[in-house]
Amino acid sequence: MTAPFLVARNIAKRFGALTALANVDLEVRSGEVLALLGDNGAGKSTFIKILAGAHPPSEGEIIIEGSPVAFSSPKDAAASGIATIFQELALSENLSIAENVFLGRELKRSILGIPFLKRREMRQRVDGLLQELDAHISDPEAPVGSLSGGQRQAVAICRALNLNAKLVIMDEPTAALAVAETRKVLALTRRLAARGCAVVLISHNISEVFEVADRIVVFRRGRKVAERLAAETNHEEVVSLITGAHPDVRALEKTN
Amino acid sequence: MNTVRRSGNGIFSMNGREWSLLVACLLAITIFSVASPHYATSGNAVTVLRNSVELLLIGLGMTLLLAMGGIDVSIGIVMGLAAIAIGRILGADGSPFLAIVAGPMAGAVLGCVTAAVVVLGRVPAIVGTLGLLGVYRTAVFVLLGGQWLSGLPSSLTDLLSTTVLGIPVAAFAIAVAYLAVWLALRRTPYGLHLLAIGNSEEKARLSGIPVVKIRFATFVISGVLTGIAATFYVATYRNVEMTIGSTLALDAIAAVILGGTSILGGRCSLIGTVLGVLLLRILQNGLLLIGIPSLWQPVVTGVLILGVLGFEAVSNRLPLARFQRARA
Repeated sequence: MTAPFLVARNIAKRFGALTALANVDLEVRSGEVLALLGDNGAGKSTFIKILAGAHPPSEGEIIIEGSPVAFSSPKDAAASGIATIFQELALSENLSIAENVFLGRELKRSILGIPFLKRREMRQRVDGLLQELDAHISDPEAPVGSLSGGQRQAVAICRALNLNAKLVIMDEPTAALAVAETRKVLALTRRLAARGCAVVLISHNISEVFEVADRIVVFRRGRKVAERLAAETNHEEVVSLITGAHPDVRALEKTN
Repeated sequence: MNTVRRSGNGIFSMNGREWSLLVACLLAITIFSVASPHYATSGNAVTVLRNSVELLLIGLGMTLLLAMGGIDVSIGIVMGLAAIAIGRILGADGSPFLAIVAGPMAGAVLGCVTAAVVVLGRVPAIVGTLGLLGVYRTAVFVLLGGQWLSGLPSSLTDLLSTTVLGIPVAAFAIAVAYLAVWLALRRTPYGLHLLAIGNSEEKARLSGIPVVKIRFATFVISGVLTGIAATFYVATYRNVEMTIGSTLALDAIAAVILGGTSILGGRCSLIGTVLGVLLLRILQNGLLLIGIPSLWQPVVTGVLILGVLGFEAVSNRLPLARFQRARA
């Protein structure tokens, strides 16, 4: 097995007297979909916010491709190849797909010192990415506001890929989607991993997780209580891990 | 669910809105021609176009401001202050070249002041510029010492109120300004950033757009265009009166939203603004010629604004549509 893209070691996060996360050790590998499961308040969101650079950890270290990093903002995380696709997609509804994918990092050529957009090249790059992701959008010039929820997820993923993301964090990507759309986004997630990206997926839907994840990590009360290969576990076991009914979790919680 | 209309990217792209405005202009001209024997003359056509020069220049800047989710209700008085600067230089020196530079310079400085208050001071644009409007109105009064600045030398007029190859200098200036604003809006990253900010400042920031820089620059661009407008104003009228520019901001906002630019930002049409300005000036001129006192002109403007916003609210483009889009 290749070296992991990201290693989180002994991560803890405290907000004043409240401990949101403690002793989390986790590896994220390229080409793999890692699902984070857990009840509300289990610490999943806090953990991905630390990975995304939105919160600094109170303790522990993050190692990317062998060297330790310290993020002070999401920009730092992005520079290290981590892109986060939040539930509330940060897309501009009034701009086209290509404009959104390149927003803030446009391709341009300078004429008389004025930066002009390379529209055709941006469009070609985006068409290529969409094709690669097998995402069919009938009118790529349409404003993103007129696209469906699943198509918007595809645009957000294109944007992450275009920023050369090596780790894409997806926070409940299918929460607001219809069934057919959910299928497409799950397929997108798989293709992202097939492309060599590491994917961290947060979801509440366990059957969805079994469909796409290679590995499953369960959080409970701010701790990582279990890690399983998706192929070696089943629905019932995962549910019992989340609710704390599983003997392993009971034993763990007794010792603490 | 194609609820978001997008204006074309071409230099004169016309949508339903722009075509309706063109039809409205032609309709108004037809009605006024029938109603008044003095209307359909070449002299009157020149008057209407002449009266549109300042509003066209200011309207281009206002289009950018509204598209960005901003506004400037002090813009008319800003033109007044720039006109005073031009008039003073012209009166003291008589050199038209210095006066030509003075307009855009004064506009840029005043644009920086507005940007400092609104952008750096983080005051909502409508509130900040309303405050500046109050300050500037008194400044105009004090600077003019209670009387008109008049009897200015004709040197600036000789230079700007002429034609080159049969085309008025003002028309060249407007064409250049239109082209420059269009290029900036549709062909450079600046335009994309401006529209993204108009859609949602927060999302624009998350996308890594330099929001403060773009907003600051836009207020300065609007100031420069207003300074150029002031230059043509002084060249034409050769005086600066106490009430200068008092209805210009209202007219500019009316023309821009008539043209299809969203008052909420994120969507704009430059050709729509041009047609909006022409419709407004055609109506104002025509109503005067059929005997309605000029006192009623702001009423026409106000009714147009309310009409457009009411129409857009009804056709689901205003907050309700945004709300639905946000939930989609």
